[in-house]
Amino acid sequence: MTGAGADQPLPLAVRGATLKFGGVTALDDVSITVKADELLAIIGPNGAGKTSLLNVIAGFYRPQAGRIELSGENVTGLRVDQIARRGMARTFQGTHLFAGQTVVENIMVGRHMLMKSNVIQAFFHYGPVMREETGHRAVAEEIIDFLEIEAIRNQPVGTLGYGLRKRVDLGRALAQEPSILLMDEPMAGMNSEEKEDLARFILDVREARRIPVVLVEHDMGVVMDLADRIVVLDFGRVIAEGTPAEIQKDPAVIKAYLG
Amino acid sequence: MDPSGVFPTSYRADRRVVRTRWQALALLLFLAVMLAAPHLAGGRIIAVLNLMLISAVIAVGLQICTGYAGQINLGQAAFMGVGAYTAAILASRFGLTFLLTIPLSGVAAALFGFLFGLTAARIKGFYLALTTIAAQFIFHFAVLNLPGSWLGGSNGITVPPAELFGFRFVTETSQFYLNLIVAGVMIAGAFGIIRSRFGRAFVAVRDDDVAAGIMGINVAATKANAFLIGAFYAGVGGALWAYMIRFVAVDQFTLFHSIFFVAMIIVGGMGSIVGALIGVFVIRIIQEIIATVGPNIADSVSFLGGDIVFAGMNVILGGIIALFMIVEPKGLMHRWNILKSSYRIWPFPY
Repeated sequence: MTGAGADQPLPLAVRGATLKFGGVTALDDVSITVKADELLAIIGPNGAGKTSLLNVIAGFYRPQAGRIELSGENVTGLRVDQIARRGMARTFQGTHLFAGQTVVENIMVGRHMLMKSNVIQAFFHYGPVMREETGHRAVAEEIIDFLEIEAIRNQPVGTLGYGLRKRVDLGRALAQEPSILLMDEPMAGMNSEEKEDLARFILDVREARRIPVVLVEHDMGVVMDLADRIVVLDFGRVIAEGTPAEIQKDPAVIKAYLG
Repeated sequence: MDPSGVFPTSYRADRRVVRTRWQALALLLFLAVMLAAPHLAGGRIIAVLNLMLISAVIAVGLQICTGYAGQINLGQAAFMGVGAYTAAILASRFGLTFLLTIPLSGVAAALFGFLFGLTAARIKGFYLALTTIAAQFIFHFAVLNLPGSWLGGSNGITVPPAELFGFRFVTETSQFYLNLIVAGVMIAGAFGIIRSRFGRAFVAVRDDDVAAGIMGINVAATKANAFLIGAFYAGVGGALWAYMIRFVAVDQFTLFHSIFFVAMIIVGGMGSIVGALIGVFVIRIIQEIIATVGPNIADSVSFLGGDIVFAGMNVILGGIIALFMIVEPKGLMHRWNILKSSYRIWPFPY
């Protein structure tokens, strides 16, 4: 376990990840690190490997080479739920909410892995189970307040508009109390008002909850405003890395985007 | 949605199953009628109620496995059979009390169901349905082909009556109270499970297993658990069946019966415990009407012959279920919920 030399291990480090689908190299020796409290954006043209990288980090794909470290612990090759239990949360491009449940139930699913009761206790549903439920419900309600979705807490998520669904998606990820949050194109398909709302929540997540965020996003305006640091991918390789100001002037980035 | 004027003031109150005074009153009234039923109604009705209570336990288990966790299960009657045989063997050969045999039957069925739950981790939908049909055939094959001294072969096993402190549950009335208590505990437990983190995990796996994994839910284990719980309920129901009929044989637990349990939860409404109970009531009533009317038709229209009438009655029963799926595919509970929310917001349209 290498801790990157600092006192605290990095929340997330990807070291030399390579991912191939048959003859196509989706990721080629990609290394990124995320520091505590950092908002890192990953950008790149279509097909650059951004979503593949997130899927490798979250454990959906197993890289052919390289390793993923979460707070210094090697999590390469673990199942998705095992990685989630080690502090990784993720929101989806589009939404993957549980359509049959209400908003508050969706957020309570995020608490699942933090709850301890077993099936037999649940069957009899006596004191300790009730206390556990209400305790975690209080945390879920706090997240509902934070995201300003109190009015819709008991609505089935299937009836909600897109912007609100994205907020529930974010709330569900926050309920996991993650040590790092991955967001895959959170702004896609939103109008500018919804984008502003969500941008505010993303900044709040970092400032108030001190959760480092990895953001994959197409909207350059959003990325330049929000990100502390940007990694640019093209054809599965990291072609540039730096602050928004540096990236805007980087000749390799301009070439990749303008061809 | 709660009716106007009902506001939960604590998270605990917000989680209640019985939410209004009228609901509490209706529940108490229902329980009172059930407790008094043997004194109000004749033997035939009690016999039907006994069958309904046992079916309710099994259908609620199937509701958890299929309705909540989304795992199609066409082997519920086989799981019931495993429970019934376990109870029969433990009671007749080892003389165990029903207080032990009923939970042990549940455990035996749960272990058998768990095996099929493990396959659910790998396969979905249609293929899973086929695999669970295999449970039926494995059960039949095992009972009929293992040595007769083990599982009774094609002769079945005679079961001694349940006995507690010298009291023997031989009358239909005494069996009714036994079934009522066990069904009551199991149904209350089902409400506990579906309101807990397991119930939410089941629905999460049903609605989106990719997102469920990201939430830290072990998807394969959750599917296997759904089968385990569903089969446990079937096993308990099977044990009650064994004590009621006092004889078990393989032809009591066929694929035909499994499909009726699926029909019950579809007619009542998927993803609702109350829906499962309504489905049991409706299907059993229809079966009962057909069983009563059928022989009368056979008598009055004698040239048809009993066989044709019997077959025709099954066609009608199947037709009614098919009609339900076309007209009300989300089940009666869904219709009831629409009705309830519209009268609660009356006179406003939304």
